[in-house]
Amino acid sequence: MKTLSVDGKTVSVESGTMLYDAAVLAGASIPTLCRHEGLPHEGACRVCMVELHRRGTVRLVASCMFPVNEEGLEVRTDTERVRAARNFVIRLLLRRNGDSAAIRRLAAEENVLPDGRLPALEKELCIRCGRCIRACSANGTDALGFALRGWDRKTTPPFGEAAATCVGCLACAEVCPTGHISWEEKDGHRRIWGRDFALVCCEHCGEPFATEEQLAFLRAGHPSDALSPEEERFCPRCRRIRAGQSFTLEEVKDR
Amino acid sequence: MRFENLEDLEHRRRELEARRAEGARVRICAGTGCLAGGSAHVKAAFETEAARRGLTLGVDFRAETTGCHGFCEEGPLVVVEPGGILYRRVQPGDVAEILESTVLGGIPVERLLYRDASGKVCLSEKETPFYAGQDRQVLHRCGHIDPKEIDDYIRTGGYRALGTALSMEPEEVVRTVVASGLRGRGGGGFPTGAKWESCRRASGTHRFVIANGDEGDPGAFMDRSLMEGDPHSVLEGMLIGAHAVGARKGFLYVRAEYPLAVEHLGRAIAQARERGLLGRNILGSGMDFDLEICRGGGAFVCGESSALMASIEGRAGEPRVKYIRSTERGLWNCPTVLNNVETWANVPLVLLRGEKAYRSKGTSGSPGTKVFSLVGKVRHSGLVEVPMGTSLREIVFGLGGGVLGRGRFKAVQTGGPSGGCLPEEKLDLPVDFDRLVEEGSMMGSGGMIVMDQRTCMVDVARYFIGFLAEESCGKCVPCREGLQAILAILRDLTEGRGRPGDARRLEEMGRALSDTALCALGQTAANPVLSTLRFFSEEYREHEENHFCRAGVCRGLYVSRIARESCVGCGACKRTCPTGAISGETKKVHSVDPTSCIGCGACLDTCAFGALAAAPREGTTR
Repeated sequence: MKTLSVDGKTVSVESGTMLYDAAVLAGASIPTLCRHEGLPHEGACRVCMVELHRRGTVRLVASCMFPVNEEGLEVRTDTERVRAARNFVIRLLLRRNGDSAAIRRLAAEENVLPDGRLPALEKELCIRCGRCIRACSANGTDALGFALRGWDRKTTPPFGEAAATCVGCLACAEVCPTGHISWEEKDGHRRIWGRDFALVCCEHCGEPFATEEQLAFLRAGHPSDALSPEEERFCPRCRRIRAGQSFTLEEVKDR
Repeated sequence: MRFENLEDLEHRRRELEARRAEGARVRICAGTGCLAGGSAHVKAAFETEAARRGLTLGVDFRAETTGCHGFCEEGPLVVVEPGGILYRRVQPGDVAEILESTVLGGIPVERLLYRDASGKVCLSEKETPFYAGQDRQVLHRCGHIDPKEIDDYIRTGGYRALGTALSMEPEEVVRTVVASGLRGRGGGGFPTGAKWESCRRASGTHRFVIANGDEGDPGAFMDRSLMEGDPHSVLEGMLIGAHAVGARKGFLYVRAEYPLAVEHLGRAIAQARERGLLGRNILGSGMDFDLEICRGGGAFVCGESSALMASIEGRAGEPRVKYIRSTERGLWNCPTVLNNVETWANVPLVLLRGEKAYRSKGTSGSPGTKVFSLVGKVRHSGLVEVPMGTSLREIVFGLGGGVLGRGRFKAVQTGGPSGGCLPEEKLDLPVDFDRLVEEGSMMGSGGMIVMDQRTCMVDVARYFIGFLAEESCGKCVPCREGLQAILAILRDLTEGRGRPGDARRLEEMGRALSDTALCALGQTAANPVLSTLRFFSEEYREHEENHFCRAGVCRGLYVSRIARESCVGCGACKRTCPTGAISGETKKVHSVDPTSCIGCGACLDTCAFGALAAAPREGTTR
């Protein structure tokens, strides 16, 4: 265990815990964009910067990526320098991604106004955080990547063509923080990344819960990932009902 | 022929030394600059002419091509030995005369000799100010040996330092490098020994050493010249490093735009393998080590260590967050030592001479020498090596010969795109890792660009920010979006759309960018703006408030004005002006009609008497 101080509060965490998690444990609130619980971190959006006092030096670090590996770190999450850095990043995002509700919400929370001095830009939703790419990679499908670089960087299937290895699982859309990734469902088909996928409906409730390609991908993969023929007939929720499992109140409300 | 042990190597060296005939020879520079100037034809001419005079090549006379001599401004360069007579701007047509007069007759060809600023003829390199003020340590073989021939390297003491290192325990080698105070020549100035120590201690079964030859700064060619002119010194440094940290494999990451460097390194590796200096059981020590060249695709960001490693791994060249150092988790997550080419080339010097001798040059905080490439508005563009701590003035005015043409010195840009511009009053600063950082610039890998009064500092900032915005990988928001925002304001300033408060806004954004960017490229990207703001704020104010560019660079932000006392009425400006804005009779003072002047600057460059200058447009002063 390592002890550190976050905004004056002392907290102890396992060695290797990221500063972000330690700070949250200490009750601090740090905004994030490219960070996602279930994915490897990248430290790309730079919204979660905090001030780190260490061995007599002070610097800003991305809290989602900085591991607590030593005793006595001192972290400040709300100094003028942190706010200036955070506001700089949010203002840049507002300029290009101001149509995104998530970015506008973040700006409102942090009291950041758009920069009126800079020439306006055509608005886009994608903030190039790469969560979709990391999700697709974690699934093993690797259908997405970044193309081009710098200002032109964009998320795309290889060569901008229909995503060859996509299975239509929607994991990318699920983790996208700005709603950039869109898809359509019509007549038992789902269209995403330039391809059509056949939807598989639950035999019990009739709701679509997967695509044929997704189930085939699971069957072809590691045996522990594959569903049994019985499981393939029902959606995850109905599977649990049939197995007699209980639901939490949140899960019921969510329905 | 394979060297089984150190004695074999030493035996070969003595043999080569004894066989070396001290007869007449010429050293012809075949560095990239001189090659472009036609030095390959000069070499061919020497061989043809010598054969015509009945000289036996290789016995009576040798025409040897070498790596870069450094005095690129005056290339193609030829040095006649013995005597070291230096000829500049040699063309194939000059060769017969050189052979007749100098090689056979012992008389110099005066028209091909260099003349210094006072007009004094300089016979040899030693007499030439450009060389006399240098201390060529790392470059001591560059220009003297054939880089394509391993025997030349061995004859001049090459791979002796490796022998010394192999006779020492790895820990002892690391201790020697630590004690030498050697710091990374790529710009960061991180202590090399500490890096090696950290890698040695890191846990892992595989370890790697990497040479960073992805020199990307505009106008920089230090590493290029080393790789082209003395490739074995880099190999030897890496071998010593590999022994010290326990690596069995190394990579040379070289930009593909350096074909000659790639070729020479490739030959060097092949020859070293043949001799058993790479491969298994090197010199009978039990050490196994091999090297591979990785060609970079030309992305500036691949000079950043983690992006470079990603590129070697076959992934897109993007940096990663480096809160865990690459000495612990580098290439393929294995402990890795990555040093710049010049750093590696320093290592044999440290081992051969010992840490004390190494420390005797340079400053206490930055020991040793440093290679700089001197370019821009300077009389002697070229490659120089001086002890650390030499003043900027000595480099720019002493070696460099001062500002080119009639120009007045305005600034010197050090440290590449991420460095900064220093003005006249900072010229007496000693150049080392720490002092330039204190002044908002950095030594960087050693590029120096001299600027004169016809350089607009706002435009310079715009150029470098444009370069970096183009080269940003786009991974993190501040660098990808922030550089474009800064560039937008700089464009406005240089195109007459500046607004009050722009300079302050640039400063705020620059500081925030330095604080938030993911890698060193972004963290230092604001330096061109911040350093010009620091020393040339007046020019920003003029662009912002008066829409005026005093350097006469930003189009439309000035009108030309003729100083009566300097104009001789030659009419050159009148003939150049595209809008007919200049009038005046021959031999009488000319004048510019400000309403017709479009501020294109053509006349400013034409006037040989310094009579023309940029003046604010009427009605633009707020």
